[in-house]
Amino acid sequence: MTVLAHGVGTRTDLPIPIGLALFGAGAAILLTFSVLLLFWRTPRLGGGGSGRPLPPGAARVLDSPTFQRALQGLTLLVALFVIAAAFAGPSDTPHNLAPWVFYVTFWVGLVPASLLLGPVWRAINPLRLVHRALRLVVPKPRRAERLPALGLWPGAVALAAFLWLELVSPHRSDPVVVGAFLLGYGVVQVGCSLWFGEDWFAAGDGFEVYSSLIARLSPWGRRDDGRLVFRNPLASAIGTPEVSGLAAVVVVLLGSTAFDGLSRTVWWQSGPGADNSVLNGTLGMLAMIALVAAMYLTGTVLSGRLAGQQVAVQPRRYAATVIPIALGYTVAHYFSLFVLDGQTTWILASNPFGSPGVDLFGTYRNVLDLAAVSAGTIALVQVGAIIVGHVLGVTLAHERALLSARRARASDQLPLVIVMVLFTFGGLGLLFGF
Amino acid sequence: MSPRSSAAPRALAGLLLAVVLALAGCAGKAPSSASASSGSSSGSPVAGKRIEVTVTHGKASGDTGRIRVPVGTPVTLVVTSDTADEVHLHGYDLEKELSPGKPTTLRFDATQTGVFEVELHEANVVIAHLQVS
Repeated sequence: MTVLAHGVGTRTDLPIPIGLALFGAGAAILLTFSVLLLFWRTPRLGGGGSGRPLPPGAARVLDSPTFQRALQGLTLLVALFVIAAAFAGPSDTPHNLAPWVFYVTFWVGLVPASLLLGPVWRAINPLRLVHRALRLVVPKPRRAERLPALGLWPGAVALAAFLWLELVSPHRSDPVVVGAFLLGYGVVQVGCSLWFGEDWFAAGDGFEVYSSLIARLSPWGRRDDGRLVFRNPLASAIGTPEVSGLAAVVVVLLGSTAFDGLSRTVWWQSGPGADNSVLNGTLGMLAMIALVAAMYLTGTVLSGRLAGQQVAVQPRRYAATVIPIALGYTVAHYFSLFVLDGQTTWILASNPFGSPGVDLFGTYRNVLDLAAVSAGTIALVQVGAIIVGHVLGVTLAHERALLSARRARASDQLPLVIVMVLFTFGGLGLLFGF
Repeated sequence: MSPRSSAAPRALAGLLLAVVLALAGCAGKAPSSASASSGSSSGSPVAGKRIEVTVTHGKASGDTGRIRVPVGTPVTLVVTSDTADEVHLHGYDLEKELSPGKPTTLRFDATQTGVFEVELHEANVVIAHLQVS
Protein backbone atom coordinates (compact mmCIF):
# COMPACT_ATOMS: atom_id res chain seq x y z
CA MET A 1 0.00 0.00 0.00
CA THR A 2 1.09 3.56 -0.45
CA VAL A 3 1.10 5.80 2.54
CA LEU A 4 1.24 9.43 3.32
CA ALA A 5 4.32 11.01 4.77
CA HIS A 6 5.74 9.88 8.08
CA GLY A 7 5.76 6.13 7.69
CA VAL A 8 2.21 5.21 8.57
CA GLY A 9 -1.07 6.98 9.12
CA THR A 10 -4.65 7.13 7.98
CA ARG A 11 -5.09 10.89 7.85
CA THR A 12 -3.21 14.16 7.76
CA ASP A 13 -4.10 17.43 9.36
CA LEU A 14 -6.21 20.11 7.79
CA PRO A 15 -4.34 23.21 6.68
CA ILE A 16 -4.35 25.76 9.50
CA PRO A 17 -6.78 28.66 8.97
CA ILE A 18 -5.48 31.98 7.64
CA GLY A 19 -6.34 33.78 10.88
CA LEU A 20 -4.17 31.48 12.95
CA ALA A 21 -1.31 31.68 10.45
CA LEU A 22 -1.28 35.48 10.52
CA PHE A 23 -1.68 35.59 14.27
CA GLY A 24 1.21 33.15 14.64
CA ALA A 25 3.46 35.14 12.35
CA GLY A 26 2.63 38.43 14.07
CA ALA A 27 3.15 36.97 17.53
CA ALA A 28 6.48 35.46 16.52
CA ILE A 29 7.82 38.80 15.28
CA LEU A 30 6.51 40.81 18.22
CA LEU A 31 7.87 38.39 20.80
CA THR A 32 11.21 38.13 19.05
CA PHE A 33 11.86 41.82 19.14
CA SER A 34 10.56 42.16 22.68
CA VAL A 35 13.06 39.55 23.80
CA LEU A 36 15.86 41.07 21.77
CA LEU A 37 15.45 44.76 22.33
CA LEU A 38 13.49 45.38 25.48
CA PHE A 39 14.45 42.74 28.01
CA TRP A 40 17.32 40.49 28.74
CA ARG A 41 20.34 42.72 28.39
CA THR A 42 22.66 40.55 30.49
CA PRO A 43 23.09 36.76 30.60
CA ARG A 44 20.41 35.36 32.89
CA LEU A 45 20.44 31.60 32.62
CA GLY A 46 22.38 29.56 35.14
CA GLY A 47 25.53 27.85 33.95
CA GLY A 48 26.67 24.25 34.22
CA GLY A 49 26.81 24.57 38.01
CA SER A 50 23.15 25.47 38.46
CA GLY A 51 20.28 23.23 39.53
CA ARG A 52 18.84 21.60 42.63
CA PRO A 53 20.29 18.11 43.24
CA LEU A 54 18.01 15.09 43.39
CA PRO A 55 17.79 13.22 46.71
CA PRO A 56 20.95 11.06 46.91
CA GLY A 57 18.95 7.83 47.12
CA ALA A 58 16.99 8.55 43.93
CA ALA A 59 20.14 9.64 42.07
CA ARG A 60 21.94 6.45 43.16
CA VAL A 61 19.17 4.21 41.84
CA LEU A 62 18.82 6.12 38.54
CA ASP A 63 22.56 6.08 37.94
CA SER A 64 23.13 2.48 39.02
CA PRO A 65 24.31 0.18 36.22
CA THR A 66 22.10 -2.65 37.51
CA PHE A 67 18.97 -0.52 37.22
CA GLN A 68 19.89 0.60 33.71
CA ARG A 69 20.82 -2.93 32.55
CA ALA A 70 17.46 -4.19 33.84
CA LEU A 71 15.62 -1.52 31.84
CA GLN A 72 17.74 -2.26 28.78
CA GLY A 73 16.87 -5.95 29.12
CA LEU A 74 13.19 -5.06 29.21
CA THR A 75 13.46 -2.86 26.11
CA LEU A 76 15.42 -5.60 24.34
CA LEU A 77 12.59 -8.07 24.99
CA VAL A 78 10.01 -5.61 23.65
CA ALA A 79 12.17 -4.88 20.59
CA LEU A 80 12.65 -8.58 19.80
CA PHE A 81 8.92 -9.12 20.23
CA VAL A 82 8.12 -6.30 17.82
CA ILE A 83 10.62 -7.66 15.27
CA ALA A 84 9.03 -11.10 15.59
CA ALA A 85 5.60 -9.52 15.02
CA ALA A 86 6.97 -7.71 11.97
CA PHE A 87 8.01 -10.97 10.31
CA ALA A 88 5.45 -13.43 11.70
CA GLY A 89 2.43 -11.19 12.22
CA PRO A 90 -0.21 -10.24 9.63
CA SER A 91 1.42 -9.00 6.42
CA ASP A 92 -0.89 -6.01 5.92
CA THR A 93 0.15 -2.79 7.62
CA PRO A 94 -3.21 -1.92 9.23
CA HIS A 95 -3.09 -5.17 11.21
CA ASN A 96 0.61 -5.43 11.95
CA LEU A 97 1.91 -4.04 15.20
CA ALA A 98 5.48 -3.29 14.08
CA PRO A 99 5.08 -0.21 11.84
CA TRP A 100 2.80 1.48 14.36
CA VAL A 101 5.06 0.77 17.34
CA PHE A 102 8.15 1.89 15.47
CA TYR A 103 6.99 4.98 13.56
CA VAL A 104 4.41 6.29 15.98
CA THR A 105 4.80 5.01 19.52
CA PHE A 106 8.60 4.82 19.55
CA TRP A 107 9.77 7.55 17.19
CA VAL A 108 7.13 10.14 18.04
CA GLY A 109 6.80 8.99 21.65
CA LEU A 110 10.53 9.49 22.17
CA VAL A 111 9.88 13.25 22.08
CA PRO A 112 7.48 13.57 25.06
CA ALA A 113 9.39 10.86 26.93
CA SER A 114 12.71 12.69 26.59
CA LEU A 115 11.13 16.06 27.28
CA LEU A 116 9.59 14.86 30.52
CA LEU A 117 12.14 12.32 31.75
CA GLY A 118 15.46 13.39 30.26
CA PRO A 119 17.74 11.31 28.03
CA VAL A 120 15.68 8.14 28.40
CA TRP A 121 16.92 6.26 25.37
CA ARG A 122 20.47 6.45 26.66
CA ALA A 123 19.34 4.71 29.85
CA ILE A 124 17.19 2.02 28.24
CA ASN A 125 18.92 1.55 24.85
CA PRO A 126 18.82 -2.22 24.30
CA LEU A 127 21.82 -2.07 21.96
CA ARG A 128 23.99 -1.06 24.90
CA LEU A 129 23.09 -4.33 26.58
CA VAL A 130 23.85 -6.34 23.42
CA HIS A 131 27.18 -4.53 23.17
CA ARG A 132 27.92 -5.34 26.81
CA ALA A 133 27.18 -9.03 26.22
CA LEU A 134 29.34 -9.22 23.08
CA ARG A 135 32.23 -7.61 24.95
CA LEU A 136 32.71 -11.04 26.53
CA VAL A 137 33.69 -12.30 23.08
CA VAL A 138 35.38 -9.19 21.70
CA PRO A 139 37.33 -7.87 24.65
CA LYS A 140 38.72 -4.52 23.42
CA PRO A 141 37.49 -1.76 21.13
CA ARG A 142 40.11 -1.23 18.43
CA ARG A 143 39.59 2.43 17.62
CA ALA A 144 38.15 4.06 20.74
CA GLU A 145 40.62 6.94 20.45
CA ARG A 146 39.21 7.94 17.05
CA LEU A 147 35.65 8.40 18.29
CA PRO A 148 35.87 11.96 19.72
CA ALA A 149 37.09 13.27 16.36
CA LEU A 150 33.86 12.09 14.70
CA GLY A 151 31.71 14.27 16.97
CA LEU A 152 27.99 13.80 16.36
CA TRP A 153 28.40 13.27 12.61
CA PRO A 154 27.66 9.51 12.78
CA GLY A 155 24.44 10.29 14.65
CA ALA A 156 23.44 12.79 11.97
CA VAL A 157 24.01 10.13 9.29
CA ALA A 158 22.05 7.50 11.24
CA LEU A 159 19.15 9.91 11.70
CA ALA A 160 19.17 10.84 8.03
CA ALA A 161 19.05 7.13 7.11
CA PHE A 162 16.08 6.53 9.38
CA LEU A 163 14.29 9.66 8.19
CA TRP A 164 14.75 8.61 4.58
CA LEU A 165 13.13 5.27 5.42
CA GLU A 166 10.29 7.00 7.23
CA LEU A 167 9.56 9.77 4.75
CA VAL A 168 10.71 8.56 1.34
CA SER A 169 11.38 4.84 0.90
CA PRO A 170 8.69 3.17 -1.18
CA HIS A 171 7.73 0.30 1.12
CA ARG A 172 8.23 2.05 4.42
CA SER A 173 4.99 0.86 5.96
CA ASP A 174 5.56 -2.78 5.00
CA PRO A 175 6.00 -4.74 8.26
CA VAL A 176 8.83 -6.83 6.80
CA VAL A 177 10.72 -3.66 5.79
CA VAL A 178 10.31 -2.31 9.31
CA GLY A 179 11.56 -5.56 10.82
CA ALA A 180 14.52 -5.71 8.44
CA PHE A 181 15.43 -2.09 9.16
CA LEU A 182 15.36 -2.69 12.92
CA LEU A 183 17.62 -5.75 12.57
CA GLY A 184 19.99 -4.05 10.14
CA TYR A 185 20.17 -0.90 12.24
CA GLY A 186 20.94 -2.94 15.35
CA VAL A 187 23.68 -4.95 13.62
CA VAL A 188 25.41 -1.85 12.21
CA GLN A 189 25.20 0.04 15.50
CA VAL A 190 26.47 -2.85 17.62
CA GLY A 191 29.23 -3.50 15.07
CA CYS A 192 30.38 0.11 15.31
CA SER A 193 30.22 0.00 19.09
CA LEU A 194 32.48 -3.06 19.15
CA TRP A 195 34.94 -1.10 17.04
CA PHE A 196 34.72 2.24 18.88
CA GLY A 197 33.57 1.26 22.37
CA GLU A 198 30.30 1.82 24.23
CA ASP A 199 30.60 5.60 23.89
CA TRP A 200 29.70 5.07 20.24
CA PHE A 201 26.00 5.01 21.06
CA ALA A 202 25.99 8.55 22.42
CA ALA A 203 27.58 9.76 19.18
CA GLY A 204 26.36 7.38 16.50
CA ASP A 205 22.98 5.93 17.49
CA GLY A 206 20.57 8.37 15.90
CA PHE A 207 17.79 7.61 18.36
CA GLU A 208 20.04 8.17 21.35
CA VAL A 209 21.40 11.39 19.86
CA TYR A 210 17.83 12.56 19.19
CA SER A 211 16.56 11.67 22.65
CA SER A 212 19.56 13.28 24.40
CA LEU A 213 19.17 16.43 22.33
CA ILE A 214 15.48 16.82 23.22
CA ALA A 215 16.33 15.99 26.83
CA ARG A 216 18.33 19.23 26.86
CA LEU A 217 14.93 20.90 27.15
CA SER A 218 13.78 18.64 29.98
CA PRO A 219 13.87 19.81 33.61
CA TRP A 220 16.56 17.21 34.40
CA GLY A 221 20.26 17.76 33.91
CA ARG A 222 23.68 16.80 35.11
CA ARG A 223 25.64 19.43 36.95
CA ASP A 224 29.33 20.13 36.40
CA ASP A 225 30.08 18.05 39.49
CA GLY A 226 28.29 15.06 37.95
CA ARG A 227 25.18 15.19 40.16
CA LEU A 228 21.71 14.75 38.72
CA VAL A 229 19.82 17.99 39.16
CA PHE A 230 16.43 19.55 38.58
CA ARG A 231 16.93 22.84 36.75
CA ASN A 232 15.75 25.39 34.24
CA PRO A 233 15.59 23.56 30.87
CA LEU A 234 16.98 26.61 29.11
CA ALA A 235 20.12 26.42 31.27
CA SER A 236 20.60 22.82 30.15
CA ALA A 237 20.01 23.75 26.53
CA ILE A 238 22.51 26.59 26.58
CA GLY A 239 25.03 24.20 28.15
CA THR A 240 24.87 21.70 25.28
CA PRO A 241 28.49 20.81 24.47
CA GLU A 242 29.59 22.47 21.22
CA VAL A 243 30.58 19.25 19.49
CA SER A 244 31.25 19.09 15.77
CA GLY A 245 28.26 17.61 13.98
CA LEU A 246 25.75 19.06 16.45
CA ALA A 247 24.64 21.59 13.86
CA ALA A 248 24.32 18.78 11.30
CA VAL A 249 21.99 16.81 13.59
CA VAL A 250 19.76 19.82 14.17
CA VAL A 251 19.71 20.72 10.48
CA VAL A 252 18.82 17.13 9.45
CA LEU A 253 15.95 17.07 11.94
CA LEU A 254 14.61 20.46 10.92
CA GLY A 255 15.04 19.85 7.19
CA SER A 256 13.37 16.45 7.20
CA THR A 257 10.41 17.67 9.24
CA ALA A 258 10.08 20.53 6.78
CA PHE A 259 10.03 17.94 3.98
CA ASP A 260 7.35 16.01 5.85
CA GLY A 261 5.31 19.22 5.88
CA LEU A 262 6.08 19.94 2.25
CA SER A 263 4.95 16.49 1.16
CA ARG A 264 1.52 17.15 2.68
CA THR A 265 0.89 20.28 0.66
CA VAL A 266 -1.40 20.39 -2.34
CA TRP A 267 1.54 21.71 -4.36
CA TRP A 268 3.68 18.66 -3.66
CA GLN A 269 0.89 16.12 -3.92
CA SER A 270 -0.22 17.39 -7.30
CA GLY A 271 3.28 18.32 -8.52
CA PRO A 272 6.64 16.67 -7.87
CA GLY A 273 5.20 14.11 -5.46
CA ALA A 274 2.25 13.08 -7.59
CA ASP A 275 3.92 9.94 -8.91
CA ASN A 276 5.14 8.95 -5.44
CA SER A 277 8.60 8.28 -6.88
CA VAL A 278 11.64 7.54 -4.75
CA LEU A 279 13.81 9.89 -6.78
CA ASN A 280 11.59 12.93 -6.31
CA GLY A 281 11.11 12.10 -2.64
CA THR A 282 14.85 11.74 -2.06
CA LEU A 283 15.62 14.93 -3.94
CA GLY A 284 12.87 16.76 -2.07
CA MET A 285 14.17 15.67 1.30
CA LEU A 286 17.78 16.51 0.38
CA ALA A 287 16.68 19.89 -0.97
CA MET A 288 14.88 20.78 2.24
CA ILE A 289 17.86 19.72 4.38
CA ALA A 290 20.21 21.69 2.10
CA LEU A 291 17.94 24.74 2.25
CA VAL A 292 17.79 24.65 6.06
CA ALA A 293 21.56 24.10 6.20
CA ALA A 294 22.29 27.01 3.87
CA MET A 295 20.00 29.36 5.79
CA TYR A 296 21.40 28.30 9.14
CA LEU A 297 25.02 28.60 8.05
CA THR A 298 24.41 32.00 6.50
CA GLY A 299 22.67 33.29 9.62
CA THR A 300 25.26 32.08 12.11
CA VAL A 301 28.29 33.04 10.03
CA LEU A 302 26.97 36.53 9.26
CA SER A 303 26.07 37.12 12.90
CA GLY A 304 29.53 35.97 13.93
CA ARG A 305 31.16 38.25 11.41
CA LEU A 306 29.13 41.28 12.54
CA ALA A 307 30.17 40.58 16.13
CA GLY A 308 33.78 40.21 15.03
CA GLN A 309 34.05 36.64 16.25
CA GLN A 310 35.75 33.59 14.84
CA VAL A 311 33.52 32.38 12.06
CA ALA A 312 34.30 28.65 12.00
CA VAL A 313 32.84 27.85 15.42
CA GLN A 314 29.63 29.83 14.92
CA PRO A 315 27.41 27.08 13.47
CA ARG A 316 28.03 24.66 16.33
CA ARG A 317 27.97 27.43 18.93
CA TYR A 318 24.38 28.29 18.05
CA ALA A 319 23.17 24.78 17.16
CA ALA A 320 21.61 24.22 20.58
CA THR A 321 19.49 27.33 20.11
CA VAL A 322 17.75 25.66 17.16
CA ILE A 323 16.71 22.65 19.29
CA PRO A 324 13.47 24.33 20.47
CA ILE A 325 12.62 25.33 16.90
CA ALA A 326 13.15 21.78 15.67
CA LEU A 327 11.09 20.54 18.61
CA GLY A 328 8.28 22.96 17.77
CA TYR A 329 8.26 21.68 14.17
CA THR A 330 8.19 18.09 15.41
CA VAL A 331 5.26 18.66 17.77
CA ALA A 332 3.37 20.56 15.07
CA HIS A 333 3.80 17.75 12.57
CA TYR A 334 3.45 14.65 14.73
CA PHE A 335 1.07 15.60 17.53
CA SER A 336 -2.08 14.39 15.78
CA LEU A 337 -0.37 11.26 14.49
CA PHE A 338 0.57 10.31 18.05
CA VAL A 339 -2.83 10.91 19.65
CA LEU A 340 -4.96 9.63 16.76
CA ASP A 341 -3.15 6.94 14.75
CA GLY A 342 -1.09 6.11 17.85
CA GLN A 343 -4.20 4.39 19.19
CA THR A 344 -3.56 1.61 16.67
CA THR A 345 -0.57 0.38 18.69
CA TRP A 346 -2.74 -0.28 21.71
CA ILE A 347 -5.42 -1.94 19.61
CA LEU A 348 -2.97 -4.26 17.84
CA ALA A 349 -0.97 -5.01 21.01
CA SER A 350 -3.90 -7.20 22.05
CA ASN A 351 -3.31 -9.52 19.11
CA PRO A 352 0.23 -9.05 17.79
CA PHE A 353 0.28 -12.15 15.60
CA GLY A 354 -3.21 -11.82 14.21
CA SER A 355 -4.36 -15.11 15.65
CA PRO A 356 -8.12 -15.60 15.60
CA GLY A 357 -9.83 -15.12 18.93
CA VAL A 358 -6.84 -13.59 20.72
CA ASP A 359 -7.54 -10.38 22.64
CA LEU A 360 -4.89 -10.05 25.36
CA PHE A 361 -5.82 -6.67 26.80
CA GLY A 362 -9.40 -6.50 25.59
CA THR A 363 -8.62 -3.67 23.18
CA TYR A 364 -8.56 -5.54 19.87
CA ARG A 365 -12.15 -4.68 19.05
CA ASN A 366 -11.64 -0.99 19.75
CA VAL A 367 -11.99 1.29 16.77
CA LEU A 368 -9.65 4.16 15.98
CA ASP A 369 -11.28 7.33 17.32
CA LEU A 370 -10.26 10.00 14.86
CA ALA A 371 -12.46 12.53 16.63
CA ALA A 372 -10.52 12.23 19.91
CA VAL A 373 -9.00 15.65 19.27
CA SER A 374 -10.85 18.28 17.27
CA ALA A 375 -9.41 19.93 14.19
CA GLY A 376 -9.42 23.26 16.03
CA THR A 377 -7.37 21.87 18.90
CA ILE A 378 -4.85 20.35 16.50
CA ALA A 379 -4.43 23.69 14.70
CA LEU A 380 -3.92 25.52 18.00
CA VAL A 381 -1.32 23.00 19.17
CA GLN A 382 0.48 23.29 15.83
CA VAL A 383 0.68 27.08 15.80
CA GLY A 384 1.42 27.18 19.54
CA ALA A 385 4.29 24.70 19.20
CA ILE A 386 5.88 26.63 16.37
CA ILE A 387 5.62 29.97 18.21
CA VAL A 388 6.86 28.63 21.56
CA GLY A 389 9.76 26.89 19.79
CA HIS A 390 10.55 30.11 17.97
CA VAL A 391 10.51 32.26 21.10
CA LEU A 392 12.68 29.82 23.05
CA GLY A 393 15.10 29.59 20.12
CA VAL A 394 15.45 33.36 19.81
CA THR A 395 15.84 33.67 23.58
CA LEU A 396 18.57 31.03 23.68
CA ALA A 397 20.41 32.59 20.76
CA HIS A 398 20.27 35.95 22.50
CA GLU A 399 21.66 34.50 25.72
CA ARG A 400 24.31 32.65 23.76
CA ALA A 401 25.42 35.89 22.10
CA LEU A 402 25.54 37.72 25.43
CA LEU A 403 27.63 34.90 26.89
CA SER A 404 30.20 35.06 24.11
CA ALA A 405 30.40 38.88 24.17
CA ARG A 406 28.96 40.76 27.13
CA ARG A 407 28.58 44.02 25.29
CA ALA A 408 27.12 42.48 22.17
CA ARG A 409 24.95 44.80 20.14
CA ALA A 410 21.54 43.27 19.51
CA SER A 411 21.89 44.21 15.86
CA ASP A 412 24.78 41.74 15.50
CA GLN A 413 22.27 38.96 16.01
CA LEU A 414 19.93 40.12 13.30
CA PRO A 415 21.09 37.69 10.58
CA LEU A 416 20.51 34.66 12.81
CA VAL A 417 17.24 36.09 14.10
CA ILE A 418 16.04 36.68 10.55
CA VAL A 419 16.86 33.07 9.72
CA MET A 420 14.91 31.89 12.77
CA VAL A 421 11.95 34.07 11.81
CA LEU A 422 12.11 32.59 8.30
CA PHE A 423 12.12 29.06 9.77
CA THR A 424 8.99 30.01 11.71
CA PHE A 425 7.31 31.44 8.64
CA GLY A 426 8.33 28.38 6.66
CA GLY A 427 6.86 26.16 9.37
CA LEU A 428 3.61 28.12 9.46
CA GLY A 429 3.50 28.27 5.66
CA LEU A 430 3.83 24.50 5.38
CA LEU A 431 1.09 24.03 7.98
CA PHE A 432 -1.00 26.44 5.97
CA GLY A 433 -0.55 23.97 3.15
CA PHE A 434 -0.29 26.28 0.20
CA MET B 1 23.04 49.17 22.47
CA SER B 2 23.32 51.80 19.77
CA PRO B 3 20.14 53.71 18.92
CA ARG B 4 20.46 52.90 15.23
CA SER B 5 19.67 49.25 15.85
CA SER B 6 16.03 49.91 16.66
CA ALA B 7 15.08 51.19 13.22
CA ALA B 8 16.40 48.14 11.39
CA PRO B 9 14.26 45.62 13.26
CA ARG B 10 11.15 47.69 12.67
CA ALA B 11 11.80 47.83 8.95
CA LEU B 12 12.53 44.13 9.05
CA ALA B 13 9.29 43.39 10.86
CA GLY B 14 7.35 45.26 8.19
CA LEU B 15 9.14 43.37 5.48
CA LEU B 16 8.45 40.02 7.10
CA LEU B 17 4.79 40.78 7.57
CA ALA B 18 4.64 41.68 3.90
CA VAL B 19 6.14 38.29 3.12
CA VAL B 20 3.48 36.57 5.21
CA LEU B 21 0.70 38.45 3.53
CA ALA B 22 2.11 37.61 0.14
CA LEU B 23 2.26 33.98 1.16
CA ALA B 24 -1.30 34.13 2.36
CA GLY B 25 -2.33 35.69 -0.92
CA CYS B 26 -0.78 32.82 -2.84
CA ALA B 27 -2.49 30.35 -0.61
CA GLY B 28 -5.86 31.90 -1.31
CA LYS B 29 -5.37 31.14 -4.97
CA ALA B 30 -4.49 27.49 -4.37
CA PRO B 31 -5.93 25.23 -7.04
CA SER B 32 -9.50 24.49 -6.13
CA SER B 33 -9.87 21.23 -7.92
CA ALA B 34 -12.92 20.78 -5.75
CA SER B 35 -15.27 22.34 -8.26
CA ALA B 36 -17.68 19.49 -8.33
CA SER B 37 -19.19 17.67 -11.22
CA SER B 38 -22.43 18.83 -9.67
CA GLY B 39 -24.51 17.89 -12.65
CA SER B 40 -25.98 14.86 -10.99
CA SER B 41 -26.24 12.65 -14.01
CA SER B 42 -27.75 9.82 -12.01
CA GLY B 43 -31.12 11.52 -12.06
CA SER B 44 -31.88 11.48 -8.34
CA PRO B 45 -31.49 14.92 -6.70
CA VAL B 46 -28.44 14.21 -4.54
CA ALA B 47 -27.73 16.92 -1.98
CA GLY B 48 -24.04 16.56 -1.27
CA LYS B 49 -20.84 15.94 -3.07
CA ARG B 50 -20.34 13.67 -6.01
CA ILE B 51 -16.78 12.70 -6.91
CA GLU B 52 -16.09 10.77 -10.09
CA VAL B 53 -12.71 9.31 -10.92
CA THR B 54 -11.69 7.15 -13.87
CA VAL B 55 -8.46 5.16 -13.80
CA THR B 56 -6.87 4.11 -17.09
CA HIS B 57 -3.46 2.44 -17.30
CA GLY B 58 -2.80 3.35 -13.67
CA LYS B 59 -3.53 7.05 -14.29
CA ALA B 60 -6.40 8.76 -12.56
CA SER B 61 -8.52 11.39 -14.28
CA GLY B 62 -11.66 13.30 -13.33
CA ASP B 63 -12.06 14.69 -9.81
CA THR B 64 -8.49 14.01 -8.72
CA GLY B 65 -6.22 16.10 -6.53
CA ARG B 66 -7.48 17.71 -3.34
CA ILE B 67 -11.26 17.55 -3.02
CA ARG B 68 -12.68 19.85 -0.34
CA VAL B 69 -15.98 19.08 1.34
CA PRO B 70 -17.55 20.63 4.45
CA VAL B 71 -17.92 18.30 7.42
CA GLY B 72 -21.22 16.43 7.45
CA THR B 73 -21.63 16.36 3.67
CA PRO B 74 -23.02 13.15 2.20
CA VAL B 75 -20.40 12.07 -0.32
CA THR B 76 -20.84 9.82 -3.34
CA LEU B 77 -17.55 8.52 -4.71
CA VAL B 78 -17.76 6.81 -8.09
CA VAL B 79 -14.64 5.02 -9.32
CA THR B 80 -14.18 3.33 -12.67
CA SER B 81 -11.00 1.37 -13.36
CA ASP B 82 -9.91 -0.41 -16.52
CA THR B 83 -8.57 -3.29 -14.43
CA ALA B 84 -9.83 -5.24 -11.46
CA ASP B 85 -8.79 -3.40 -8.33
CA GLU B 86 -9.83 -2.34 -4.86
CA VAL B 87 -10.58 1.21 -3.81
CA HIS B 88 -9.75 2.25 -0.26
CA LEU B 89 -10.70 5.45 1.53
CA HIS B 90 -8.27 5.79 4.44
CA GLY B 91 -9.43 6.99 7.84
CA TYR B 92 -13.05 6.15 7.09
CA ASP B 93 -11.66 2.72 6.22
CA LEU B 94 -14.09 2.03 3.41
CA GLU B 95 -13.06 -0.55 0.80
CA LYS B 96 -14.79 -1.87 -2.27
CA GLU B 97 -13.83 -4.25 -5.08
CA LEU B 98 -13.71 -2.80 -8.59
CA SER B 99 -14.54 -4.82 -11.72
CA PRO B 100 -12.91 -3.69 -14.97
CA GLY B 101 -14.86 -0.90 -16.67
CA LYS B 102 -17.72 -0.96 -14.20
CA PRO B 103 -18.43 2.21 -12.17
CA THR B 104 -18.43 1.41 -8.47
CA THR B 105 -20.01 3.69 -5.90
CA LEU B 106 -19.02 4.39 -2.29
CA ARG B 107 -21.50 6.42 -0.26
CA PHE B 108 -20.68 7.88 3.13
CA ASP B 109 -21.16 10.95 5.30
CA ALA B 110 -18.00 13.03 5.70
CA THR B 111 -18.11 13.18 9.49
CA GLN B 112 -14.40 13.07 10.39
CA THR B 113 -12.22 16.09 9.75
CA GLY B 114 -8.77 15.85 8.20
CA VAL B 115 -7.20 14.99 4.87
CA PHE B 116 -7.70 11.41 3.72
CA GLU B 117 -6.24 9.43 0.84
CA VAL B 118 -8.38 7.62 -1.70
CA GLU B 119 -6.19 4.83 -2.98
CA LEU B 120 -6.30 1.94 -5.43
CA HIS B 121 -4.53 -1.05 -3.91
CA GLU B 122 -3.53 -3.00 -7.02
CA ALA B 123 -2.48 -0.07 -9.17
CA ASN B 124 -0.83 1.42 -6.07
CA VAL B 125 -1.98 4.96 -6.88
CA VAL B 126 -3.56 7.68 -4.81
CA ILE B 127 -6.44 8.91 -6.94
CA ALA B 128 -7.55 11.81 -4.74
CA HIS B 129 -7.19 13.45 -1.34
CA LEU B 130 -10.44 14.10 0.45
CA GLN B 131 -10.25 17.19 2.65
CA VAL B 132 -13.07 17.37 5.19
CA SER B 133 -13.20 20.63 7.11
